[in-house]
Amino acid sequence: MDDGAGTARIDRALAARALLADDTLAFEQLVRRHQGMVRAQLRRLLRGDEAAADDLAQEAFLLAWQKLHQFRGEARFSTWLYRIAYTCFLQTRRRKSLPSDDIDEGKAGQLPAPPRTTDMQLDFERALQGLSSAERTVLLHCVQLGLSHDEAAYVLAMPLGTVKTHAMRGKAKLKKWLADWNETSARGARQ
Amino acid sequence: MTHPDDDVIENLLRTTFEGPVVDGGFADRVMRRLPPRRRRITWPTLAGVAAGAGACWLSLSSAPLLSAGWHDWMNGELSAQAVALLLAATCASLAACCWTLAEADDR
Repeated sequence: MDDGAGTARIDRALAARALLADDTLAFEQLVRRHQGMVRAQLRRLLRGDEAAADDLAQEAFLLAWQKLHQFRGEARFSTWLYRIAYTCFLQTRRRKSLPSDDIDEGKAGQLPAPPRTTDMQLDFERALQGLSSAERTVLLHCVQLGLSHDEAAYVLAMPLGTVKTHAMRGKAKLKKWLADWNETSARGARQ
Repeated sequence: MTHPDDDVIENLLRTTFEGPVVDGGFADRVMRRLPPRRRRITWPTLAGVAAGAGACWLSLSSAPLLSAGWHDWMNGELSAQAVALLLAATCASLAACCWTLAEADDR
């Protein structure tokens, strides 16, 4: 059996137990199985603000517990959780009237670097910050979190075509950056 | 077919992604704050069932087919009315079973 399908079946069974028998142990299993990726998603969305991301992740799991009867098993449980977490993120951003997180090139250079990165990864991180918020969010969900385009459309509440367009544009910008980067490093090596 | 640059970009995106965060007590903190789930209110459903059953009884109590069928059934006579009543009860039970199974499957 496919591992993903097996995982989804276990999640559905745990969710059913948590809902029908009010089994908190089953829900705890779900939290333990998914907290890592939900927190990673929110840390990326909040640009590495770990404390805020963990607060939002906690809010998302508490909401998932209260709304568990709305999980019908049409999407994977992890996808359903990503959607709740993303909605919590949007609501917080709206509540705090935070500006859109699109930033200019100058600010991108000041962002903290993740640990153990090569020059290229560091530059790539900066190039990533140069993408629009929507492009970055779509690439986060489609590539880094490993969702399909359909699943990303469900999580982000975007039309499928829009998700595909953002993914394509984001990759095109990164490809251009990669070509420039290769050219610059080849010129540097020749000198 | 995917462009080779697409693979490079996707690899870079995956490499720069930190991956799942280590629990570090997070799940315990969530479980400590878990509120009691609000129970779904059952009285409207029960009231609806009672009202439906009452209305059904009122409208059918005067029907001769039903009273004759019921009478025959109670006396152990397998008359046409009793069989009709039995079939109606069987069909209603089967429909309820199918509906319950479909709902259980959705969960």
